Amino acid sequence: MDGVETRMRLTVLGGFLGSGKTTWLRHQLHHGRFRDAHVVVNEAAETPVDDVLLGKSSALTVLAGGCACCEGRADLIAALRKLCDERSRTFSSESRLQRIVLETSGLADPGAIVEAIRADAMLIHHIVVSEIIVAVDGLNGLSQLASEPLGRRQAEIADRLVVTKLDAADPETIARLAATLKHLNPGAAIGGAINGSDVPPPDGTGVEPADLPDLSGERAAPIFATRLALDETVDWTAFGVWLSALLHARGDQVMRVKGVVRTPAGRLLLQSVRKIVQSPEILPGQDDDASREDDTIVVIGRGYRAEDLRRSLNYFAGLR
Amino acid sequence: MCANCGNPAAPGHWTEAGAAGPGERLRARFRRSQVLKSVLPAYGLTAHDGAIIPGIQLSTLSGQEVIVQNLEEVWAEAERMIGRPVDPLDPRFLGAAQEREVA
Repeated sequence: MDGVETRMRLTVLGGFLGSGKTTWLRHQLHHGRFRDAHVVVNEAAETPVDDVLLGKSSALTVLAGGCACCEGRADLIAALRKLCDERSRTFSSESRLQRIVLETSGLADPGAIVEAIRADAMLIHHIVVSEIIVAVDGLNGLSQLASEPLGRRQAEIADRLVVTKLDAADPETIARLAATLKHLNPGAAIGGAINGSDVPPPDGTGVEPADLPDLSGERAAPIFATRLALDETVDWTAFGVWLSALLHARGDQVMRVKGVVRTPAGRLLLQSVRKIVQSPEILPGQDDDASREDDTIVVIGRGYRAEDLRRSLNYFAGLR
Repeated sequence: MCANCGNPAAPGHWTEAGAAGPGERLRARFRRSQVLKSVLPAYGLTAHDGAIIPGIQLSTLSGQEVIVQNLEEVWAEAERMIGRPVDPLDPRFLGAAQEREVA
């Protein structure tokens, strides 16, 4: 690696069926966000509809008839490979594609898609997942979280949750939904949207989260986020040994690991989704973004104790 | 790429991203070996990485031996050899950590 990130950045937009993904994306495109991006839309149904709605984007690929995280995976990989190919044929002096936005079908598990890209020998060199955004239906979100394992998985894995249809639901439901999402995924930023345009996020502070029924047996314990500060005694190599072992042994419990670590090779953005760790993205120097905390890792999961994580990491780092 | 053993075929395991140059890579490799050598004996395994041949040699006390390429394979092979995963949150590590904190 030569210290400069040259891979394309991929934003994954997920969310349950009818949660307002396309509406949100359409509005963002209208306002010029993702303007430089190639949009890939996946629909589980045979007949595509979303491509009509997303006419604003500069470039669009539609994958219809199969969810990209399961039966449509080959199509998705092929479409992404094609984008990589086209980009590689562009001279580096010309403007090259820098960003892809993938809108998944409502039945897709974003984690499975990230995993598929990570497992592809070509795509891993060309694409880095920068953000997982998940739309949550403000009206039906609570019942989906309560009854649909998939809906819950989507919410748990997001970096950013967008609660949609804020005008359609009553404020108490929205507050309860926000509190429940915070409880499910404490690490994610929560935003709000009405007809796709961003509005202030719902405030769930002080509201009791909904009591979600146990959907799979062992998922009863709440998810919590642990911040691990990597001080100068923790070197990258020992940290890597520790984290890779932890994810191997407890990949079902540790759902997400995220953080920026300073190493001799530069600042690395590290992120994992369940057992899968993406090859770290090299970030530019730290002066541009002072708000970002370096050398801090956030571990999100359940079924272990936060102090055990700290103790175990320090033990590994202290081995000589 | 070496035509015989296929090394290095992959872009490198994520744990190897922290080293910029060849010297640092070698240093990181020795450090990795050092940590593994302290961790694995608790499970009856030994690791050796002399940085001469590519790969990490893992062996059991009974003499079973494999060569693996990265940490992901280390943990997968270790689990296969001993029948359970090497868990950093295992009480044996936490206990040792506590002892060291006291000392």
